[in-house]
Parts: sequence; structure tokens; C-alpha cells
Amino acid sequence: MIESTAELERPAEEEALYCVRCGLCLSVCPGYRESLKETDSPRARVALVRALKEGLLEAPTDEYSDAFFRCLLCGACTFACPSGVAIDRILELTRGKLANLGLLPEVLADLDSRISQYRNISAEENDGRLIWADNLPAPPTGLDKKQAEVAYFVGCVSSFFPRSYRVPQALVQIFDRAGVDYALLGGAEWCCGYPMFINGELERARELIQHNVEAVRAMGAKKVVVTCASCYHFWKHSYPAALEVEDLGLEVQHATEFLADLLETDTLKLHEIRENVTYHDPCDLGRKGGVTEAPRRVLAQIPGLRLVEMAENRDSSHCCGGGGNLESFAPEVGQAVARNRIRQAADVGAGTLISACQQCERTLTNAARAERLRIRVKDITEVVLEALEE
Amino acid sequence: MDPAVIEQLEQTLGTDKVLFSPIDRIAYSFDGTFEQHLPDVIVLPETNEEVSAVVRIASQYDVPVVPRGMSSGLAGGSIPTRGGIVLSLTRMNRILEIDKENMTATVEAGVITADLQAEVEKLGLFYPPDPASTKQSSIGGNVACNAGGPHCLKYGVTGDYVLGLTVVLADGRMVKTGGKAIKYVTGFNMNQFFVGSEGALGIITEAILRLIAKPPHARTALVHFPTLDNAGRTVHAVLTQGLVPATMELLDETAIECIEEAMRLGLPLDVEAILLIESDGADEESVQREIDTIANICLETGASRVDVAYDEEKRAELWRARRSVSPSLARKAPNKLGEDITVPRSEIPEAVRRIKVLSAEYGLPIVIFGHAGDGNLHPNILFDQRDPAQREKVEQIVGEIFKVALDLGGTLSGEHGIGTFKLPYMREALGQASINIQWRVKQAMDPQNILNPGKVLPEP
Repeated sequence: MIESTAELERPAEEEALYCVRCGLCLSVCPGYRESLKETDSPRARVALVRALKEGLLEAPTDEYSDAFFRCLLCGACTFACPSGVAIDRILELTRGKLANLGLLPEVLADLDSRISQYRNISAEENDGRLIWADNLPAPPTGLDKKQAEVAYFVGCVSSFFPRSYRVPQALVQIFDRAGVDYALLGGAEWCCGYPMFINGELERARELIQHNVEAVRAMGAKKVVVTCASCYHFWKHSYPAALEVEDLGLEVQHATEFLADLLETDTLKLHEIRENVTYHDPCDLGRKGGVTEAPRRVLAQIPGLRLVEMAENRDSSHCCGGGGNLESFAPEVGQAVARNRIRQAADVGAGTLISACQQCERTLTNAARAERLRIRVKDITEVVLEALEE
Repeated sequence: MDPAVIEQLEQTLGTDKVLFSPIDRIAYSFDGTFEQHLPDVIVLPETNEEVSAVVRIASQYDVPVVPRGMSSGLAGGSIPTRGGIVLSLTRMNRILEIDKENMTATVEAGVITADLQAEVEKLGLFYPPDPASTKQSSIGGNVACNAGGPHCLKYGVTGDYVLGLTVVLADGRMVKTGGKAIKYVTGFNMNQFFVGSEGALGIITEAILRLIAKPPHARTALVHFPTLDNAGRTVHAVLTQGLVPATMELLDETAIECIEEAMRLGLPLDVEAILLIESDGADEESVQREIDTIANICLETGASRVDVAYDEEKRAELWRARRSVSPSLARKAPNKLGEDITVPRSEIPEAVRRIKVLSAEYGLPIVIFGHAGDGNLHPNILFDQRDPAQREKVEQIVGEIFKVALDLGGTLSGEHGIGTFKLPYMREALGQASINIQWRVKQAMDPQNILNPGKVLPEP
């Protein structure tokens, strides 16, 4: 995991001085590896920060801004940097500065406005967050609970993108089989704020953060369980700092952490699934979030499942192409990156690629189709539910 | 530069392969050093024909063309110091053929060295040259700078693996040199003519490279030395006993400290030097015997401790540490200048001693590591470029370091090349007669002086 650079107080321009321009980051940057154009590399972005400071560039322009937003924020460069340059932090600070200057690309500014207005990324009525719960075999027990041990934070994508309904649908069924005392927030759940944060508008996200923490506290929950890797990363690593508190007084767990503990201690019977699978570490969960073993512990509980690792795994995982709001800003970059990743899964002979983030699941499913690969893409919650059902 | 150049380039290559915005120009203005100069335009050709077309346009308009791979060089060689066209070869990254029977690989210039190594190793083959930048440098640059690396002690440098090249000349013509045949005494040795030419004689677009069988077994020993002299004696003792380890890497105390700070591997902090010695070969027992013999020699010649890494993970960790030395220095000071001198092997302790004296005299830290078996040292001066006083000192130290190298019978560069950084010292290193001959060669090949001008050779 990348050691937290959130405390880094040094301005981006100063941190940029520590880059020796060795170029190692180019070898791990999924965007650069696709375009083979230096402008798309972490090294160039760091050089641009310096260029502005040193007068080689007079003022940031739309094109300057483009270079900083055309990035998946996967963090591979920061993890690989042998000089320990906090590239992720440089990008964050620079995006913030650009947003302040009114240079946030329009499509991203629109996204933030939409979130402010609707409390979700989809510009839909926020009360419709639980439509996915309508067609389950039985209504989830967490549906109408006002108080519970565990609050399940579903996230915008799984709430509003029909294709991703399967993730919360699977998790609540697992919860119900295990008798977990949980509650769903419904309309009281607002966008976690991460899209705004990575657009450089943390200030705007603060209202959402405040609201979400209060909503969960109001349930008397001790624990928030999150299925979206990005919501998880933001809740876990940025919420406390954004609220200027040491800790939230709540345990934040990714669903894989919760499931790993549950399956290792509970008596739930898991059936055999005979298959070669590979696990794709979502950047926000693994390298950036620090959770790489829990999902593997979950998979190890399923009899017959054979996990074959891709060469780029855990902290060295290759982005699915779905990060950094690039789906809105430069979808072609993300799609190309996704195709490279799904080919890696095919190369190790996996019949199914399992991820632990609905965004990875979406982008990699599309990539498998684009590449004409016979490989299924599933979220880990779906796989656990299958093993429970068979 | 005449705006018609960009127009011509766009017409020939298409607009998506021609970049000239302020942002793109900054992205292509630097290499692995702290120097920087903006190009006027960048091109991203994908074929030999496109490279040739670009050079023809450059010749027509008398504009400099600077070939560029991953731009991780440490001598300013790919910086467009006179503006003009940066010709990026990164998109020419196809491995055209791996010929298992003849043990050769034919690759385009933009193939990343580590990618080639990984591909050939899948077939049990081996491409030994291993610059520390193996993941961020490409074959074209490796050939053009005759890159070395730790394994070159036993296996030789990049130039030793070049069987053939495709080169675009200054007038846009394409020439092929050598071929797959191992022996090729037919006319002048044109392969070696372009090896190390730093893009000043032609633009290398393809290479036929010799491969060997991958030695399946390797053992690495980490050897502690209380004094540098002990380490120097050991290198001599091992090599003169007829043993040729794959590597003998030297790290001085400051280098050890830097790695330890960055990576916490438990390296010793109470020694003057360590050597990283690796034996490899086809037979596991003989590899083990070799490393054991070497370990004994080390102890006899003053090593205080020898640790042999028995598992692959530990071995990989040691090598990752070695490759990280140079970048890890960044945490010590905002800037570093990495030199690349060579001296006759026996003079290593003396060279290190003199460099340490310089460090003390000028009051700037100098970290020393390098390929002891080859007499190739990388003294890295740490400084802050924003301080003019320090910058001036660095310039003086560099001059002094070169003086040490030449004085001890060595030279300016073992594997990084001359670029712009070492130009002022070329006359002293080579003598005017040699410079004159080389300059005449350059003029014959590139009468307009458009190929990477202002690099490698001082203009008369």
C-alpha cells in the first residue's frame, strides 16, 4: 500500500523537485503504456508543475488542465517511484488549484454540479437508491431498519446503474443468510464525495461527507460496510481528515474484509465451484486502500476455486481503466487500459476475473466483449452468493 | 524554426503524430538529468519510412533532429539543446522476430529492454545487458549509448550483442548493417560504428541482437568490507583466480545509507563498502561451488561477513536495492549529478579515495557505487541546483573527477555516454587528433550537422 501522503504539507511545486526524472513511472503508468506519449506520463505531469513554478509556462491553460485530468489516479507511479515522490499528492493539489482557477474541464464541472443538486452522480431522485432491492426473492431485512450494528453504504454506481445492482443484491442476501444486523440508508445516503475530491473540489464535498457520517451515526451503527472500492478508500482515508477528527468513531470496512471474517468464523456452508479464476485488485482498494489479502481470504474459503494470479497483482495491480473520472472525461483512455488488463487475465488462463468493485466489473466486462474474450467478469459478492446457493 | 516544417510533418505523418503545443514541448524537453530545453516540434513515427520522411524534411529545412527513446539517459544526450525536432521512437516498439534456432531477436528501437528480456526468457533465452534503467530504457537508446550494467562483467555490454542494425541516415536514406550471421568480416564493422554514436551519425530504428541460453541457476552474495581497500583487493583476487562472476557491484557507505533509508533491508551501516557478487551458470552445483569459493576468497582478503541469498525473493530484493540507489538519492538533496567514469580495475580504491577527498574539500556529499569488476564507477554528487554557489562547486568537482579518471588511466564514461554533460572534457580525454578524425567522420555522415547536434563531439 502507498503510505499515506495525505499529511504531506509540502506544496506540489516543492515535492516536484524530488523527481529525478528517471522515467521508471512510465513503465507502470497504464495511460502512458497505452499512448506511448510522454505528455501522458507521471514524469511529464511533475515536470509541468515545475515548469509553471520556474516560468517555463506563464499560466495554466485548458490544455495544461487536460494533462492533469487525463489520469486514472491509479497510484501505480506513486507506488513505484524510487525517489518516493508523492505523485498522487501532487496530482491532487494541482487538480485542486486548477479547479479553483476555473479550469476544471466542463464535463467534470457538470458532474460536480449534478452531485451537489441531486446528491448522486446520476442526476436521479436520490430516494430511488434502493430500486435494486425490489426484485429479490425476499425483501432484504435491512430495508426498513432504523437502527442496526452495520450500515451498508451502497454507493452511487450500484444504486443507479442497473447492471451493477447485482453487487448490493448479492451482499444483502449473504447478510441475510448469515443473520447480520444491518441497515440500508436509502435516500439518506448521499454521494460519498470522492468524484468531487478528485476533481479538486474537496470543499464542495465536505457537506456530503458531513451528512453521510451523521446519517450512519443516527442509525447507531458501529460499522460501515462499503462495496465500492472508491467510496471505501474515501471513507477510510479521507473522511476523518476532511472532518478534522482523529477518527470517525466508526469502523469502516470494505465488504471483502467483512466477508473474510464472516466466512472464516461463521458456519455458512459454501459449495464447490470448480474453476480457474483470477483476482483483479481495484486500485482504490488494494494499492491505495491497503486491502489486498481479505478478498483472497474470501476466495480461499470457496472449495474448488483455483486462484491464478496475474503478474501485476496486489500493490502492483494494473488499473481497470475505470478510475479518475476518466469515464466522463476521456473514456477512450479508460477503455484501452481496460482491454490491456483483461488480456492479462486471459493470458493466465482464467475463466472468470473476479474483482471487488462495481466499477472494475463494468469496465472489464466491456473490455472482455471488445476483445472478444471468453472470460466472465464478476464481483466477489456475486461469487460468494453463488457458492452459498449451489 | 520555419513553420513550414510543422506543416510538412503533419502532411507526411498525419496530425496525431506531430505535437507542438506548449505542454507537449515541455513533456519532451528533458531526460534523466536536471537539464532542459524545449523542442519546436515532436514526432511519433511508427515505421522506418516515417522516420526517413521526418529526417528528409529536417534536411530540407536544415533543422536539428534529436532521436529519443525513453529519455532516461544521464548525460543530456536526448535533450533538444538546439530546439528543432524531437523524434520519439517509443511507438516503434514491436519485437519483430525471436529466432530460437539462431538465437537472435530482431526488434524495433522503441522496445523496452526489460520487455525484450521477459519475452526471450519465456523461451529459455537470455539478453544479458542490464542497465539499471532496464524497465525505462529502450533498445535504440541502449545501442546508441552502448549501455552496460552489472551483468556486463561476465557477459559484455550492449554493443557485444549487436549483430545488425537498420539506420536512417542524415539524408533520409536507410541502411542495414550486419545480419544474423555471427561472423561478419565484410567491409568495415558498421555495427560498431553506430554503437555508442548517440544519434549523431544516424537514427537506429531496428536491431538484430544476439541472444544466449538463459543460465538457469544463480547465487548472490552480499559481502561486507570494513575498508574500501579490502573490497578492491577482493575484486582483484577473485578475477585473477580465473573466476568470472556475473556481477561484482560496489556500494560505498553513503550509497548503503541511502538505500537503507529508503528500503530498510537491514544492510550494514558500519562498513566502508559492500560488494554484491553473483555467480550464475547452467549447472547448479558448479554455481554453488563458485560462490562458495568466492566467499572464501572474500574472507581471506578482508571481508568481515559474507551472506549468500538462498532464496529468489531475497536475491530479487538485493537487486531491486541496487537498481534503486541512483533514484533513492533524491531524498538526500533536490539534485544529483551522476558520473560514469572508468579506471583500470586496480585503481578503484585509489579513485574512490580521491573522490572522497574532493567531497570533503568542496563540502558536498558524493555517493559512490558502480561495477567494480569493470572498473566503472558512478560517483553521484548531491546538491541543490537553486543555489548558484553549489552549482559552481559541482562544475568544479566534475572537472576534478574526470581529472582523477584520466590521471589513473581511465576515461569519462563507461556506459552513459557523453551527451552534453561531458563535452567540455572530451579534448583532454581523447586528444585533438582523435577529435579531428571523429569530426571528419561526423561531417561525412551528416554534412548539415542536423543529427543530434551539439552532442558527443565538441565542434572544432
